[in-house]
Amino acid sequence: MATIEFNGKSFDIDEDGFLLDYNTYNDQWVEYVKGQEGIEELTDEHWTLIKVLQDYYEKNGIAPMVRVLSKLTKFKLKHIYELFPSGPGKGACKMAGLPKPTGCV
Amino acid sequence: MQDVKTNKKVIDEGVEAGLAKLTPEKIASVINQVLEKETGARFKAYVQTCMRCGLCSDACSVFLSNDRAPQYSPAAKVKQTILEMINKKGRVSREFLSDAVRIAHTECNVCKRCSMYCPFGIDIAYMMLTVRRIIHKLEITPLYIQDTVNSHAATGNQMWVKQDEWIDTLQWQEEDAREEFEDLRIPLDKDGSDIMYSVIAPEPKFQAGLIYQMATIMHAANVNWTMPSTPGWDNSNMAMYTGDFETSGRIARIHYEAAANLHVKKIVMGECGHAFRSVYDVGNRWVGWTAPPIELIHAIDFYHFLLTTGRIKVKEKYKKSVTLHDPCNISRGRGLHHKAREIVNILCENFIEMTPNKEHNYCCGAGGGVINCGPPWKGTRMVNNKEKSRQLKRTGAQVLIAPCHNCHSGLEDIVEHYELGMEIKFFGDIIFEVMEKTIFEEGN
Repeated sequence: MATIEFNGKSFDIDEDGFLLDYNTYNDQWVEYVKGQEGIEELTDEHWTLIKVLQDYYEKNGIAPMVRVLSKLTKFKLKHIYELFPSGPGKGACKMAGLPKPTGCV
Repeated sequence: MQDVKTNKKVIDEGVEAGLAKLTPEKIASVINQVLEKETGARFKAYVQTCMRCGLCSDACSVFLSNDRAPQYSPAAKVKQTILEMINKKGRVSREFLSDAVRIAHTECNVCKRCSMYCPFGIDIAYMMLTVRRIIHKLEITPLYIQDTVNSHAATGNQMWVKQDEWIDTLQWQEEDAREEFEDLRIPLDKDGSDIMYSVIAPEPKFQAGLIYQMATIMHAANVNWTMPSTPGWDNSNMAMYTGDFETSGRIARIHYEAAANLHVKKIVMGECGHAFRSVYDVGNRWVGWTAPPIELIHAIDFYHFLLTTGRIKVKEKYKKSVTLHDPCNISRGRGLHHKAREIVNILCENFIEMTPNKEHNYCCGAGGGVINCGPPWKGTRMVNNKEKSRQLKRTGAQVLIAPCHNCHSGLEDIVEHYELGMEIKFFGDIIFEVMEKTIFEEGN
Protein backbone atom coordinates (compact mmCIF):
# COMPACT_ATOMS: atom_id res chain seq x y z
CA MET A 1 0.00 0.00 0.00
CA ALA A 2 0.91 3.65 -0.24
CA THR A 3 -0.40 7.02 0.88
CA ILE A 4 -0.89 9.93 -1.47
CA GLU A 5 -1.51 13.57 -0.64
CA PHE A 6 -3.75 15.62 -2.89
CA ASN A 7 -5.13 19.13 -2.27
CA GLY A 8 -4.69 18.73 1.47
CA LYS A 9 -6.41 15.32 1.61
CA SER A 10 -4.62 12.05 2.13
CA PHE A 11 -5.66 8.69 0.69
CA ASP A 12 -4.43 5.17 1.33
CA ILE A 13 -4.27 3.33 -1.98
CA ASP A 14 -3.29 -0.11 -3.22
CA GLU A 15 -0.50 -0.62 -5.73
CA ASP A 16 -2.87 -0.36 -8.68
CA GLY A 17 -3.92 3.05 -7.38
CA PHE A 18 -7.38 2.03 -6.10
CA LEU A 19 -8.66 3.27 -2.72
CA LEU A 20 -7.94 0.76 0.03
CA ASP A 21 -11.09 1.76 1.90
CA TYR A 22 -14.24 2.76 0.01
CA ASN A 23 -15.33 4.85 3.00
CA THR A 24 -12.42 7.26 2.53
CA TYR A 25 -13.88 8.37 -0.83
CA ASN A 26 -14.62 12.09 -1.26
CA ASP A 27 -14.84 14.49 -4.16
CA GLN A 28 -11.14 15.33 -3.97
CA TRP A 29 -10.45 11.69 -4.81
CA VAL A 30 -12.36 12.15 -8.05
CA GLU A 31 -10.23 15.18 -8.89
CA TYR A 32 -7.08 13.19 -8.18
CA VAL A 33 -8.09 10.22 -10.37
CA LYS A 34 -9.16 12.61 -13.12
CA GLY A 35 -5.52 13.67 -13.40
CA GLN A 36 -4.27 10.09 -13.20
CA GLU A 37 -6.61 8.98 -15.97
CA GLY A 38 -5.89 11.94 -18.20
CA ILE A 39 -9.55 12.97 -18.33
CA GLU A 40 -9.70 16.61 -19.42
CA GLU A 41 -13.04 17.71 -18.09
CA LEU A 42 -15.48 16.07 -15.72
CA THR A 43 -19.00 16.27 -17.07
CA ASP A 44 -22.39 15.45 -15.57
CA GLU A 45 -22.14 12.16 -17.45
CA HIS A 46 -19.00 11.19 -15.52
CA TRP A 47 -20.84 11.96 -12.29
CA THR A 48 -23.88 9.94 -13.36
CA LEU A 49 -21.65 6.94 -13.97
CA ILE A 50 -19.82 7.36 -10.68
CA LYS A 51 -23.09 7.53 -8.73
CA VAL A 52 -24.48 4.43 -10.47
CA LEU A 53 -21.29 2.49 -9.73
CA GLN A 54 -21.35 3.51 -6.08
CA ASP A 55 -25.03 2.78 -5.63
CA TYR A 56 -24.63 -0.70 -7.15
CA TYR A 57 -21.49 -1.42 -5.15
CA GLU A 58 -23.11 -0.39 -1.87
CA LYS A 59 -26.01 -2.75 -2.52
CA ASN A 60 -24.09 -5.69 -4.00
CA GLY A 61 -20.49 -5.46 -2.81
CA ILE A 62 -19.17 -5.88 -6.36
CA ALA A 63 -18.75 -3.70 -9.45
CA PRO A 64 -21.63 -3.98 -11.94
CA MET A 65 -21.25 -5.45 -15.40
CA VAL A 66 -20.89 -2.87 -18.13
CA ARG A 67 -24.32 -3.96 -19.40
CA VAL A 68 -25.87 -2.90 -16.11
CA LEU A 69 -23.99 0.41 -16.27
CA SER A 70 -25.33 0.99 -19.74
CA LYS A 71 -28.89 0.15 -18.75
CA LEU A 72 -28.91 2.41 -15.72
CA THR A 73 -27.20 5.37 -17.39
CA LYS A 74 -28.66 4.90 -20.90
CA PHE A 75 -25.10 5.38 -22.26
CA LYS A 76 -23.99 3.14 -25.10
CA LEU A 77 -20.90 0.97 -24.55
CA LYS A 78 -18.77 3.13 -26.85
CA HIS A 79 -19.76 6.23 -24.93
CA ILE A 80 -18.76 4.67 -21.60
CA TYR A 81 -15.31 4.10 -23.08
CA GLU A 82 -15.25 7.70 -24.35
CA LEU A 83 -15.92 8.91 -20.82
CA PHE A 84 -13.39 6.51 -19.26
CA PRO A 85 -10.77 5.53 -21.86
CA SER A 86 -9.17 2.90 -19.58
CA GLY A 87 -12.59 1.25 -19.27
CA PRO A 88 -15.30 0.72 -16.71
CA GLY A 89 -13.29 -1.86 -14.72
CA LYS A 90 -10.23 0.34 -14.36
CA GLY A 91 -10.78 4.11 -14.65
CA ALA A 92 -14.45 4.26 -13.69
CA CYS A 93 -14.22 1.86 -10.73
CA LYS A 94 -11.10 3.63 -9.53
CA MET A 95 -12.69 7.07 -9.69
CA ALA A 96 -15.80 5.87 -7.87
CA GLY A 97 -13.64 4.53 -5.03
CA LEU A 98 -14.41 0.84 -5.66
CA PRO A 99 -11.71 -1.80 -5.15
CA LYS A 100 -9.98 -3.24 -8.19
CA PRO A 101 -12.15 -6.00 -9.67
CA THR A 102 -10.71 -9.51 -9.46
CA GLY A 103 -10.08 -11.66 -12.55
CA CYS A 104 -7.93 -11.36 -15.68
CA VAL A 105 -8.21 -7.56 -15.82
CA MET B 1 4.10 6.92 -12.26
CA GLN B 2 2.58 8.73 -9.33
CA ASP B 3 4.70 9.78 -6.40
CA VAL B 4 4.19 7.02 -3.89
CA LYS B 5 6.15 5.36 -1.15
CA THR B 6 5.77 1.63 -1.17
CA ASN B 7 6.38 -0.62 1.80
CA LYS B 8 8.84 -3.40 1.08
CA LYS B 9 7.19 -6.48 2.53
CA VAL B 10 3.96 -7.23 0.71
CA ILE B 11 0.97 -7.85 2.95
CA ASP B 12 -1.67 -10.04 1.37
CA GLU B 13 -4.71 -10.34 3.63
CA GLY B 14 -5.67 -13.75 2.33
CA VAL B 15 -2.21 -15.17 2.95
CA GLU B 16 -1.90 -13.58 6.38
CA ALA B 17 -5.31 -14.79 7.57
CA GLY B 18 -4.53 -18.32 6.39
CA LEU B 19 -1.09 -18.40 8.00
CA ALA B 20 -2.50 -17.30 11.37
CA LYS B 21 -4.64 -20.44 11.51
CA LEU B 22 -1.85 -22.93 10.79
CA THR B 23 -0.27 -25.26 13.34
CA PRO B 24 3.03 -27.12 12.83
CA GLU B 25 1.09 -30.41 12.70
CA LYS B 26 -1.28 -29.16 10.03
CA ILE B 27 1.61 -27.80 7.93
CA ALA B 28 3.54 -31.08 8.05
CA SER B 29 0.53 -33.27 7.39
CA VAL B 30 -0.56 -31.26 4.31
CA ILE B 31 2.92 -31.09 2.82
CA ASN B 32 3.60 -34.77 3.37
CA GLN B 33 0.21 -35.77 2.01
CA VAL B 34 0.86 -33.88 -1.25
CA LEU B 35 4.46 -35.10 -1.55
CA GLU B 36 3.66 -38.74 -0.78
CA LYS B 37 0.21 -39.20 -2.31
CA GLU B 38 0.04 -36.72 -5.16
CA THR B 39 3.48 -36.91 -6.75
CA GLY B 40 5.18 -39.82 -8.43
CA ALA B 41 8.15 -40.86 -10.54
CA ARG B 42 8.21 -37.65 -12.56
CA PHE B 43 8.54 -35.51 -9.43
CA LYS B 44 11.25 -37.75 -7.97
CA ALA B 45 13.20 -37.69 -11.22
CA TYR B 46 13.11 -33.90 -11.33
CA VAL B 47 14.22 -33.58 -7.72
CA GLN B 48 17.12 -35.99 -8.22
CA THR B 49 18.21 -34.82 -11.67
CA CYS B 50 18.79 -31.10 -11.18
CA MET B 51 22.53 -30.56 -10.70
CA ARG B 52 22.34 -26.76 -10.31
CA CYS B 53 24.07 -26.07 -13.62
CA GLY B 54 22.33 -22.70 -13.75
CA LEU B 55 21.33 -22.79 -17.41
CA CYS B 56 17.77 -22.03 -16.34
CA SER B 57 18.80 -18.75 -14.71
CA ASP B 58 19.24 -16.56 -17.77
CA ALA B 59 16.14 -18.14 -19.28
CA CYS B 60 14.02 -16.49 -16.59
CA SER B 61 12.91 -12.92 -17.19
CA VAL B 62 12.28 -12.45 -13.46
CA PHE B 63 15.95 -13.36 -12.81
CA LEU B 64 17.12 -10.95 -15.53
CA SER B 65 14.83 -8.21 -14.20
CA ASN B 66 16.40 -8.47 -10.75
CA ASP B 67 19.99 -7.94 -11.92
CA ARG B 68 20.64 -11.68 -11.91
CA ALA B 69 20.26 -11.97 -8.14
CA PRO B 70 20.76 -15.69 -7.47
CA GLN B 71 17.56 -16.22 -5.47
CA TYR B 72 15.50 -15.51 -8.60
CA SER B 73 17.03 -18.36 -10.58
CA PRO B 74 14.41 -21.06 -11.35
CA ALA B 75 16.57 -23.72 -9.70
CA ALA B 76 16.88 -21.51 -6.62
CA LYS B 77 13.10 -21.06 -6.50
CA VAL B 78 12.79 -24.84 -6.34
CA LYS B 79 15.48 -25.04 -3.69
CA GLN B 80 13.84 -22.35 -1.54
CA THR B 81 10.44 -24.03 -1.66
CA ILE B 82 9.78 -27.65 -2.48
CA LEU B 83 13.29 -29.02 -1.78
CA GLU B 84 13.25 -27.48 1.66
CA MET B 85 9.83 -29.01 2.32
CA ILE B 86 11.19 -32.42 1.32
CA ASN B 87 14.38 -32.08 3.34
CA LYS B 88 12.54 -30.95 6.46
CA LYS B 89 9.81 -33.55 6.01
CA GLY B 90 7.19 -30.82 5.99
CA ARG B 91 8.35 -29.25 9.25
CA VAL B 92 8.61 -25.69 7.97
CA SER B 93 7.65 -22.42 9.63
CA ARG B 94 4.96 -19.87 8.77
CA GLU B 95 7.70 -17.42 7.71
CA PHE B 96 9.01 -20.04 5.31
CA LEU B 97 5.51 -20.53 3.89
CA SER B 98 5.01 -16.79 3.53
CA ASP B 99 8.14 -16.71 1.35
CA ALA B 100 7.02 -19.83 -0.53
CA VAL B 101 3.76 -18.08 -1.46
CA ARG B 102 5.65 -15.05 -2.73
CA ILE B 103 8.04 -17.19 -4.78
CA ALA B 104 5.57 -19.71 -6.25
CA HIS B 105 2.68 -17.30 -6.86
CA THR B 106 4.41 -14.06 -7.84
CA GLU B 107 8.01 -14.69 -8.89
CA CYS B 108 7.28 -17.52 -11.31
CA ASN B 109 4.86 -17.18 -14.24
CA VAL B 110 4.94 -20.96 -14.85
CA CYS B 111 5.81 -19.91 -18.43
CA LYS B 112 8.16 -22.89 -18.92
CA ARG B 113 10.86 -20.89 -20.68
CA CYS B 114 13.39 -22.32 -18.19
CA SER B 115 12.40 -25.89 -19.06
CA MET B 116 13.39 -25.22 -22.66
CA TYR B 117 16.90 -24.28 -21.61
CA CYS B 118 17.32 -27.03 -18.99
CA PRO B 119 19.62 -29.75 -20.40
CA PHE B 120 17.34 -32.36 -18.81
CA GLY B 121 14.07 -30.64 -19.64
CA ILE B 122 13.03 -30.45 -16.01
CA ASP B 123 9.54 -28.98 -15.81
CA ILE B 124 10.16 -26.34 -13.17
CA ALA B 125 6.69 -24.89 -13.68
CA TYR B 126 5.29 -28.22 -12.52
CA MET B 127 7.43 -27.98 -9.39
CA MET B 128 6.11 -24.47 -8.69
CA LEU B 129 2.54 -25.62 -9.34
CA THR B 130 3.11 -28.41 -6.81
CA VAL B 131 4.10 -25.73 -4.30
CA ARG B 132 0.90 -23.88 -5.16
CA ARG B 133 -1.06 -27.11 -4.63
CA ILE B 134 0.36 -27.26 -1.09
CA ILE B 135 -0.44 -23.56 -0.62
CA HIS B 136 -4.02 -24.21 -1.71
CA LYS B 137 -4.40 -27.11 0.69
CA LEU B 138 -2.96 -24.98 3.50
CA GLU B 139 -5.52 -22.27 2.57
CA ILE B 140 -2.91 -19.52 2.19
CA THR B 141 -3.54 -18.64 -1.46
CA PRO B 142 -3.31 -14.89 -2.28
CA LEU B 143 -6.64 -13.13 -1.77
CA TYR B 144 -7.45 -11.76 -5.24
CA ILE B 145 -6.77 -14.96 -7.17
CA GLN B 146 -8.68 -16.97 -4.56
CA ASP B 147 -11.70 -14.73 -5.14
CA THR B 148 -11.47 -15.56 -8.83
CA VAL B 149 -11.38 -19.27 -8.06
CA ASN B 150 -14.35 -18.88 -5.72
CA SER B 151 -16.26 -17.31 -8.59
CA HIS B 152 -15.30 -20.21 -10.87
CA ALA B 153 -16.54 -22.69 -8.28
CA ALA B 154 -19.84 -20.89 -7.64
CA THR B 155 -20.80 -19.65 -11.11
CA GLY B 156 -18.65 -21.53 -13.64
CA ASN B 157 -17.08 -18.21 -14.70
CA GLN B 158 -14.30 -16.13 -13.20
CA MET B 159 -16.08 -12.79 -12.57
CA TRP B 160 -19.34 -13.61 -10.76
CA VAL B 161 -21.40 -13.13 -13.94
CA LYS B 162 -24.94 -14.43 -13.49
CA GLN B 163 -26.68 -16.35 -16.25
CA ASP B 164 -29.35 -13.71 -16.95
CA GLU B 165 -26.66 -11.01 -17.12
CA TRP B 166 -24.67 -13.09 -19.56
CA ILE B 167 -27.64 -13.63 -21.88
CA ASP B 168 -28.65 -9.98 -21.58
CA THR B 169 -25.12 -8.87 -22.51
CA LEU B 170 -25.07 -11.03 -25.64
CA GLN B 171 -28.45 -9.73 -26.76
CA TRP B 172 -27.32 -6.18 -26.07
CA GLN B 173 -24.19 -6.63 -28.18
CA GLU B 174 -26.22 -8.30 -30.92
CA GLU B 175 -28.40 -5.22 -31.05
CA ASP B 176 -25.40 -2.86 -31.05
CA ALA B 177 -23.57 -4.86 -33.72
CA ARG B 178 -26.52 -4.41 -36.07
CA GLU B 179 -24.80 -1.12 -36.83
CA GLU B 180 -22.47 -3.30 -38.91
CA PHE B 181 -25.00 -5.70 -40.47
CA GLU B 182 -28.70 -5.13 -39.98
CA ASP B 183 -29.56 -8.84 -39.78
CA LEU B 184 -26.63 -9.83 -37.53
CA ARG B 185 -27.33 -12.45 -34.87
CA ILE B 186 -25.46 -13.84 -31.90
CA PRO B 187 -27.17 -17.23 -32.05
CA LEU B 188 -27.76 -18.63 -28.55
CA ASP B 189 -27.89 -22.42 -28.02
CA LYS B 190 -28.23 -23.20 -31.72
CA ASP B 191 -28.19 -26.97 -31.79
CA GLY B 192 -25.84 -28.67 -34.25
CA SER B 193 -23.86 -25.52 -35.15
CA ASP B 194 -20.48 -25.92 -36.80
CA ILE B 195 -18.85 -23.81 -34.10
CA MET B 196 -19.38 -22.94 -30.46
CA TYR B 197 -17.56 -19.74 -29.58
CA SER B 198 -16.37 -19.40 -25.96
CA VAL B 199 -14.80 -16.42 -24.21
CA ILE B 200 -13.51 -15.44 -20.79
CA ALA B 201 -15.57 -13.49 -18.26
CA PRO B 202 -13.82 -10.10 -18.57
CA GLU B 203 -15.45 -9.82 -22.02
CA PRO B 204 -19.08 -9.75 -20.87
CA LYS B 205 -18.16 -8.10 -17.57
CA PHE B 206 -16.37 -5.03 -18.94
CA GLN B 207 -15.06 -5.54 -22.50
CA ALA B 208 -18.30 -6.34 -24.29
CA GLY B 209 -16.98 -4.60 -27.41
CA LEU B 210 -14.85 -7.69 -28.08
CA ILE B 211 -18.04 -9.76 -28.41
CA TYR B 212 -19.43 -7.11 -30.79
CA GLN B 213 -16.29 -7.43 -32.91
CA MET B 214 -16.33 -11.23 -33.00
CA ALA B 215 -20.04 -11.26 -33.89
CA THR B 216 -19.23 -8.95 -36.82
CA ILE B 217 -16.38 -11.21 -37.94
CA MET B 218 -18.54 -14.36 -37.65
CA HIS B 219 -21.36 -12.73 -39.58
CA ALA B 220 -19.11 -11.46 -42.37
CA ALA B 221 -17.42 -14.87 -42.63
CA ASN B 222 -20.87 -16.47 -42.90
CA VAL B 223 -20.06 -19.02 -40.20
CA ASN B 224 -22.67 -21.33 -38.69
CA TRP B 225 -21.95 -20.53 -35.03
CA THR B 226 -23.47 -20.32 -31.60
CA MET B 227 -22.75 -19.32 -28.02
CA PRO B 228 -24.12 -21.23 -25.02
CA SER B 229 -26.58 -19.48 -22.72
CA THR B 230 -25.57 -21.81 -19.87
CA PRO B 231 -22.39 -22.04 -17.74
CA GLY B 232 -19.52 -23.35 -19.85
CA TRP B 233 -19.33 -20.18 -21.93
CA ASP B 234 -16.25 -19.14 -19.92
CA ASN B 235 -13.20 -21.17 -20.95
CA SER B 236 -10.84 -19.63 -18.38
CA ASN B 237 -9.47 -21.47 -15.38
CA MET B 238 -7.66 -19.74 -12.54
CA ALA B 239 -8.11 -22.78 -10.31
CA MET B 240 -5.52 -24.50 -12.51
CA TYR B 241 -3.03 -21.92 -11.24
CA THR B 242 -3.90 -22.08 -7.54
CA GLY B 243 -3.56 -25.84 -7.30
CA ASP B 244 -7.31 -26.24 -6.74
CA PHE B 245 -7.36 -29.06 -9.26
CA GLU B 246 -10.79 -30.32 -8.22
CA THR B 247 -12.38 -27.00 -9.23
CA SER B 248 -10.07 -26.75 -12.23
CA GLY B 249 -11.18 -30.11 -13.62
CA ARG B 250 -14.82 -29.34 -12.95
CA ILE B 251 -14.81 -26.07 -14.92
CA ALA B 252 -12.87 -27.58 -17.82
CA ARG B 253 -15.56 -30.28 -17.93
CA ILE B 254 -18.44 -27.75 -17.86
CA HIS B 255 -16.96 -26.04 -20.92
CA TYR B 256 -17.01 -29.27 -22.94
CA GLU B 257 -20.41 -30.28 -21.61
CA ALA B 258 -21.88 -27.03 -22.94
CA ALA B 259 -20.45 -27.88 -26.37
CA ALA B 260 -21.62 -31.50 -26.19
CA ASN B 261 -25.16 -30.47 -25.21
CA LEU B 262 -25.32 -28.25 -28.29
CA HIS B 263 -23.93 -30.99 -30.57
CA VAL B 264 -21.44 -28.59 -32.13
CA LYS B 265 -18.66 -29.84 -34.38
CA LYS B 266 -15.93 -27.63 -33.00
CA ILE B 267 -15.12 -25.09 -30.29
CA VAL B 268 -13.41 -21.83 -31.18
CA MET B 269 -12.06 -19.97 -28.17
CA GLY B 270 -11.21 -16.29 -27.96
CA GLU B 271 -7.79 -14.71 -27.59
CA CYS B 272 -6.69 -16.13 -24.26
CA GLY B 273 -3.60 -18.14 -23.38
CA HIS B 274 -4.09 -19.66 -19.94
CA ALA B 275 -7.61 -20.74 -20.89
CA PHE B 276 -6.11 -22.57 -23.85
CA ARG B 277 -3.65 -24.31 -21.50
CA SER B 278 -6.67 -25.46 -19.48
CA VAL B 279 -9.13 -26.62 -22.14
CA TYR B 280 -6.52 -27.90 -24.56
CA ASP B 281 -4.32 -29.63 -22.04
CA VAL B 282 -4.13 -29.36 -18.25
CA GLY B 283 -7.81 -29.14 -17.27
CA ASN B 284 -8.67 -32.04 -19.54
CA ARG B 285 -5.97 -34.28 -18.19
CA TRP B 286 -7.25 -33.82 -14.65
CA VAL B 287 -10.68 -34.96 -15.86
CA GLY B 288 -8.97 -37.98 -17.40
CA TRP B 289 -9.15 -37.08 -21.08
CA THR B 290 -5.95 -37.54 -23.06
CA ALA B 291 -7.22 -35.23 -25.81
CA PRO B 292 -10.00 -32.66 -26.04
CA PRO B 293 -13.28 -34.62 -26.43
CA ILE B 294 -14.48 -32.10 -29.02
CA GLU B 295 -12.10 -30.39 -31.42
CA LEU B 296 -10.97 -27.07 -29.98
CA ILE B 297 -8.99 -24.33 -31.66
CA HIS B 298 -7.57 -21.03 -30.46
CA ALA B 299 -8.67 -17.77 -32.11
CA ILE B 300 -5.31 -17.56 -33.93
CA ASP B 301 -6.04 -20.83 -35.72
CA PHE B 302 -9.54 -19.63 -36.53
CA TYR B 303 -8.47 -16.20 -37.83
CA HIS B 304 -5.79 -17.91 -39.90
CA PHE B 305 -8.48 -20.08 -41.48
CA LEU B 306 -10.78 -17.09 -42.15
CA LEU B 307 -8.03 -14.95 -43.67
CA THR B 308 -6.38 -17.62 -45.82
CA THR B 309 -9.64 -18.95 -47.24
CA GLY B 310 -10.97 -15.51 -48.13
CA ARG B 311 -13.86 -15.73 -45.72
CA ILE B 312 -12.58 -12.46 -44.29
CA LYS B 313 -10.99 -10.09 -46.76
CA VAL B 314 -8.68 -7.23 -45.92
CA LYS B 315 -9.89 -3.91 -47.30
CA GLU B 316 -6.74 -1.98 -46.56
CA LYS B 317 -3.74 -3.12 -44.53
CA TYR B 318 -3.10 -1.68 -41.08
CA LYS B 319 -0.60 1.16 -41.41
CA LYS B 320 0.98 1.65 -37.98
CA SER B 321 4.12 -0.31 -37.12
CA VAL B 322 3.25 -3.40 -35.09
CA THR B 323 5.13 -5.94 -33.05
CA LEU B 324 3.81 -9.27 -31.77
CA HIS B 325 3.97 -10.75 -28.30
CA ASP B 326 3.83 -14.57 -28.42
CA PRO B 327 1.83 -15.77 -25.40
CA CYS B 328 3.63 -18.66 -23.66
CA ASN B 329 0.67 -21.02 -23.57
CA ILE B 330 -0.11 -20.89 -27.27
CA SER B 331 3.44 -20.46 -28.54
CA ARG B 332 5.71 -22.57 -26.32
CA GLY B 333 2.63 -24.57 -25.44
CA ARG B 334 1.22 -25.18 -28.91
CA GLY B 335 3.44 -23.66 -31.61
CA LEU B 336 0.88 -21.17 -32.93
CA HIS B 337 3.54 -18.49 -33.51
CA HIS B 338 3.99 -19.35 -37.20
CA LYS B 339 0.31 -18.90 -37.97
CA ALA B 340 0.30 -15.73 -35.88
CA ARG B 341 3.03 -14.26 -38.10
CA GLU B 342 1.16 -15.20 -41.26
CA ILE B 343 -1.86 -13.36 -39.88
CA VAL B 344 0.19 -10.29 -38.97
CA ASN B 345 1.59 -10.10 -42.48
CA ILE B 346 -1.85 -10.47 -44.06
CA LEU B 347 -3.24 -7.71 -41.85
CA CYS B 348 -0.39 -5.24 -41.36
CA GLU B 349 2.05 -3.33 -43.58
CA ASN B 350 4.84 -2.88 -41.10
CA PHE B 351 5.72 -5.79 -38.81
CA ILE B 352 8.70 -5.54 -36.47
CA GLU B 353 9.88 -8.71 -34.71
CA MET B 354 10.69 -8.46 -31.05
CA THR B 355 13.76 -10.30 -29.78
CA PRO B 356 13.68 -12.94 -28.42
CA ASN B 357 10.55 -14.21 -30.11
CA LYS B 358 8.33 -17.19 -30.90
CA GLU B 359 8.85 -20.03 -28.41
CA HIS B 360 11.79 -18.11 -26.95
CA ASN B 361 9.70 -15.05 -26.14
CA TYR B 362 9.66 -13.74 -22.57
CA CYS B 363 6.42 -14.08 -20.65
CA CYS B 364 4.26 -10.94 -20.40
CA GLY B 365 4.98 -11.06 -16.67
CA ALA B 366 1.29 -11.32 -15.84
CA GLY B 367 0.81 -14.96 -16.81
CA GLY B 368 0.50 -18.03 -14.67
CA GLY B 369 -1.99 -16.27 -12.41
CA VAL B 370 0.56 -13.66 -11.30
CA ILE B 371 -1.49 -10.60 -12.32
CA ASN B 372 -4.50 -12.26 -10.73
CA CYS B 373 -2.81 -12.03 -7.33
CA GLY B 374 -3.92 -8.44 -7.64
CA PRO B 375 -2.93 -5.01 -6.36
CA PRO B 376 -0.85 -6.10 -3.32
CA TRP B 377 1.70 -7.58 -5.72
CA LYS B 378 1.63 -4.96 -8.48
CA GLY B 379 4.76 -3.13 -7.34
CA THR B 380 6.97 -6.21 -7.22
CA ARG B 381 5.44 -7.41 -10.49
CA MET B 382 6.60 -4.22 -12.19
CA VAL B 383 10.14 -4.77 -10.89
CA ASN B 384 10.02 -8.39 -12.10
CA ASN B 385 8.92 -7.18 -15.56
CA LYS B 386 11.85 -4.85 -16.18
CA GLU B 387 13.45 -7.18 -18.73
CA LYS B 388 10.14 -7.47 -20.59
CA SER B 389 9.92 -3.67 -20.76
CA ARG B 390 13.41 -3.50 -22.28
CA GLN B 391 12.45 -6.09 -24.88
CA LEU B 392 9.30 -4.15 -25.82
CA LYS B 393 11.16 -0.84 -25.99
CA ARG B 394 13.80 -2.21 -28.37
CA THR B 395 11.13 -2.86 -31.03
CA GLY B 396 10.23 0.82 -31.37
CA ALA B 397 6.81 -0.32 -32.62
CA GLN B 398 3.72 1.83 -32.22
CA VAL B 399 1.36 -1.06 -31.65
CA LEU B 400 1.79 -4.25 -29.65
CA ILE B 401 -0.41 -7.18 -30.62
CA ALA B 402 -1.10 -9.56 -27.72
CA PRO B 403 -3.51 -12.42 -28.51
CA CYS B 404 -4.19 -13.25 -24.85
CA HIS B 405 -6.24 -11.48 -22.18
CA ASN B 406 -3.76 -12.01 -19.38
CA CYS B 407 -0.86 -10.79 -21.53
CA HIS B 408 -2.97 -7.83 -22.61
CA SER B 409 -3.62 -6.65 -19.06
CA GLY B 410 -0.05 -7.28 -17.92
CA LEU B 411 1.49 -5.54 -20.93
CA GLU B 412 -0.80 -2.55 -20.36
CA ASP B 413 0.66 -2.27 -16.87
CA ILE B 414 4.23 -2.48 -18.22
CA VAL B 415 3.60 0.07 -20.97
CA GLU B 416 2.11 2.47 -18.43
CA HIS B 417 4.71 1.90 -15.71
CA TYR B 418 7.75 2.13 -17.99
CA GLU B 419 6.12 4.86 -20.13
CA LEU B 420 6.59 2.99 -23.40
CA GLY B 421 3.74 4.75 -25.19
CA MET B 422 2.60 1.66 -27.13
CA GLU B 423 -0.99 0.84 -28.02
CA ILE B 424 -1.96 -2.75 -27.18
CA LYS B 425 -4.37 -4.65 -29.37
CA PHE B 426 -5.89 -8.05 -29.89
CA PHE B 427 -5.84 -9.59 -33.36
CA GLY B 428 -9.63 -9.17 -33.30
CA ASP B 429 -9.23 -5.38 -32.94
CA ILE B 430 -7.02 -5.19 -36.02
CA ILE B 431 -9.16 -7.55 -38.10
CA PHE B 432 -12.28 -5.55 -37.23
CA GLU B 433 -10.52 -2.37 -38.31
CA VAL B 434 -9.16 -3.57 -41.67
CA MET B 435 -11.79 -6.08 -42.83
CA GLU B 436 -14.26 -5.66 -45.65
CA LYS B 437 -17.72 -5.51 -44.11
CA THR B 438 -19.33 -7.78 -46.69
CA ILE B 439 -20.79 -11.25 -46.27
CA PHE B 440 -18.82 -14.18 -47.66
CA GLU B 441 -20.72 -16.39 -50.11
CA GLU B 442 -19.64 -20.02 -50.69
CA GLY B 443 -18.19 -20.54 -54.18
CA ASN B 444 -16.97 -16.96 -54.54
